Amino acid sequence: MNWSLIIFSSIINISVVLLLSPLFDGFTRKIRAIIQSRVGPPPLQSYYDILKLMGKEDLKSTINPLFRFSPYLSVISIAMASLLVPIVGVNPPFNFWGDIFLFIYIITVVGIAIIITASASENPFAYIGASRKMMLHLSVEPILAIALITGAINADSFKIGDIVKWYHLNGPNVSMLLATVCVFLSLQALIGKIPFDVSEAEQEIAEGVLIELSGPKYACVKWANMSKQVLFCLVFSQIFIPWPLTENILLNILIALSKVTVIIFISTLIEALNPRLRIDQALKYNLTLAGFSITAVFLALLGV
Amino acid sequence: MNSLNDKISSLAKVEKEAENLVVFSEASQIREIVRLIILQGARFIHLTAIDFSEQRQKIQLNYFFLLLKERINIILKTELDSASPSVSSISDIIPGAIWAERECMDLFGVNFLGHPDPRRLVLPDDWPEDLYPLRKNFSYDFKPPVKSEASVELKKPGEGRTVIPLGPFYPSLEEPAYFRLIVDGEEIVDFDYRGFYVHRGIEKLAESVLNYQQIPFLAERICGICGFVHSTAYCQAVERAGKIDVPERAKFIRTIFLELERIHSHLLWAGLAAHIVGFDTLFMQAWRIREPVMQLCEMITGNRKTYGINIVGGVTIDILPQQMKDMEGVINQIEKEVRELREIILNDEVIQLRFQKVGALPEEEAKNFYVGGPVARASGVEIDIRLNFPYAAYSEIGFRMPIRKEGDVWARTIVRLEEILISIGILRETVKKIPEGPTFIKFTKIEPWQEGISYVEAPRGQLFHYVMTGPDGKPYRWSVRAPSYQNYQALSVLLKGGSIADAPLIIASIDPCFSCTERFETVDIKSKIFRTYTAEELRKCLKAK
Repeated sequence: MNWSLIIFSSIINISVVLLLSPLFDGFTRKIRAIIQSRVGPPPLQSYYDILKLMGKEDLKSTINPLFRFSPYLSVISIAMASLLVPIVGVNPPFNFWGDIFLFIYIITVVGIAIIITASASENPFAYIGASRKMMLHLSVEPILAIALITGAINADSFKIGDIVKWYHLNGPNVSMLLATVCVFLSLQALIGKIPFDVSEAEQEIAEGVLIELSGPKYACVKWANMSKQVLFCLVFSQIFIPWPLTENILLNILIALSKVTVIIFISTLIEALNPRLRIDQALKYNLTLAGFSITAVFLALLGV
Repeated sequence: MNSLNDKISSLAKVEKEAENLVVFSEASQIREIVRLIILQGARFIHLTAIDFSEQRQKIQLNYFFLLLKERINIILKTELDSASPSVSSISDIIPGAIWAERECMDLFGVNFLGHPDPRRLVLPDDWPEDLYPLRKNFSYDFKPPVKSEASVELKKPGEGRTVIPLGPFYPSLEEPAYFRLIVDGEEIVDFDYRGFYVHRGIEKLAESVLNYQQIPFLAERICGICGFVHSTAYCQAVERAGKIDVPERAKFIRTIFLELERIHSHLLWAGLAAHIVGFDTLFMQAWRIREPVMQLCEMITGNRKTYGINIVGGVTIDILPQQMKDMEGVINQIEKEVRELREIILNDEVIQLRFQKVGALPEEEAKNFYVGGPVARASGVEIDIRLNFPYAAYSEIGFRMPIRKEGDVWARTIVRLEEILISIGILRETVKKIPEGPTFIKFTKIEPWQEGISYVEAPRGQLFHYVMTGPDGKPYRWSVRAPSYQNYQALSVLLKGGSIADAPLIIASIDPCFSCTERFETVDIKSKIFRTYTAEELRKCLKAK
């Protein structure tokens, strides 16, 4: 094991997912503004927002300790999940340590942390938001899990590095292609943006899960949401379209960044050009996708 | 018509003057006569009272009806003893009269026997009992003592049901109103409304200190979006009462601004509806399309909104030939863009998913609550005051009325988008036909105790103003019934059975105008109510289960 490479790539991963995420968010805001014939905020606005919120008074709407800690948990779990995504090469930094199941556990914690915050905040809007988020998570995360399992069956290994290696070498077969398409179609729901932002839905339930948050806690959840977008776009671009991949680490980082920018751009276009679905409509969409992704597993078992 | 006249004559005294049929009845016979009038197919418009305590110790109740086909107003009058006025309620015959009766209870202290919901509607929670602000012995600047520990009883949820409070500061339209949704899971099973948080009593102000020519400016400030309809309706009511003949050119100029206002109001609504379902791109684009209309109005009148050009007897400005040309340029551009906008909305599948079969109002219920405007037309009720009861220059302009049968949010959207295009057509014709001449006429004196009724087809529905002229150069009674006032009452039908996610959309689909309904001045933001609704009250609302 090459420890210096592991430490280097960990730093790269965490900084791409956590430190660059407000920049990517600023990018999406700018794109939306252009589509909407507006000028839009400066590209660094999301950094300013987080910094401002960090310095604000932290109002506690409840004494429930869960409410106090879970926002920080969401940021930490995103940082952990980012260590399981390959950026600098074929293998993610913590390839030796975790497989796809650990990855799925950790990304579930991100959602759970926000659900716990909302449920602990004793606000009816937050309750509705939490129950919607729960339903959305339960319906969309299996799609990603099944897609990863399809990869694992194909690669004969549960390690993310091995899946990427196999995929990169052999190219897409029918099952992997189907899994890739399913993940792409569920990306918007994974990120939780329009048309799937039902748990926050500003106009319906006044930001739902976020309603009672303020100050540093709100900054954390906001930051976690921004990072979540980068994380899932990275998962899609690095695991499900692992081309091109070079020997040069710096080149790989550049390629990863440009791929993720393209994916975020597409995701922003979808966000800007669609209205929000109702929760029942969103669930129906996700369940249909889940059905397709299960087909991918069967195809992988058949070896195609 | 004659049959109605005959039937009522046996019960009460009937007088006919011009287009008004005035029926004087005994309080005991109100219900019979109301039933007769309704059987004739009349629309209930409003119910209001006039205080004659000083003259003859009476409070006069006025029920307003409209016979659309015959173009006749029916004013049903009955006099009650001002010491303890009470009369039987007509809410079971006309569900749309529930609010009007509650308002009379609040402001005049009239007791309606058998009213299904005799709670406070208009007055704030801390207003003392037995103090009725629209009675003439109540001074407009009197500050009543605050009643402590008061709150209006709201509907309680049943077993296993939760309350979802939308308000008191309504989140999606950013205005003060409290929609209390009682839900079972995500489904809405019951609904309660507490509004009028910004009722400013401008009717009282107008009757007390302003004169005929000052009120149009106050009336225009009733609404921040469609204010011109109010000043027009008020001026027309006074002109009818005072038999003032307005010059033709003034009528055309009023028509132009009424239609410009409809265009920008409907575009504003289209944007808001898109915003509520999270489609912000459409929201921004709709408002961008709307902007040139506002700029055009600013160019002609000096104001983007609240034009301040209406006075009794005409309008204060003239439109120059160059401005007419500019207007044509603007409406050509808007027409093109609105057509594109309409294509986008009609072809968007996700919008259809969200709008179709949501918040349906069956034709039967639409008629029960006497809703108006696009809400009625989307439910298949053929009513458009511009055609049914022409005012301003509409009698000289031909246009059609868009009708849909479905009654859902989708139908309301289509009707409104159609109406923008129809308004553009009307504007073109108005510009072509506008005659030369003066824009206002001077009048000397308005006879007291004359009545004037005026309707305007506001963007949101049928607006009604009533003026009774007074002896000292100002109205004795000025009553306003905004279109949203009726449309709100139909919300209980619209919301039941819907889901929480649809509630803001359904509420928005009637294009509610909080300020119109509550008759407040948009300029005054220091509403006393913000103090009354403290954090504690809010917490109580939130924790109610």
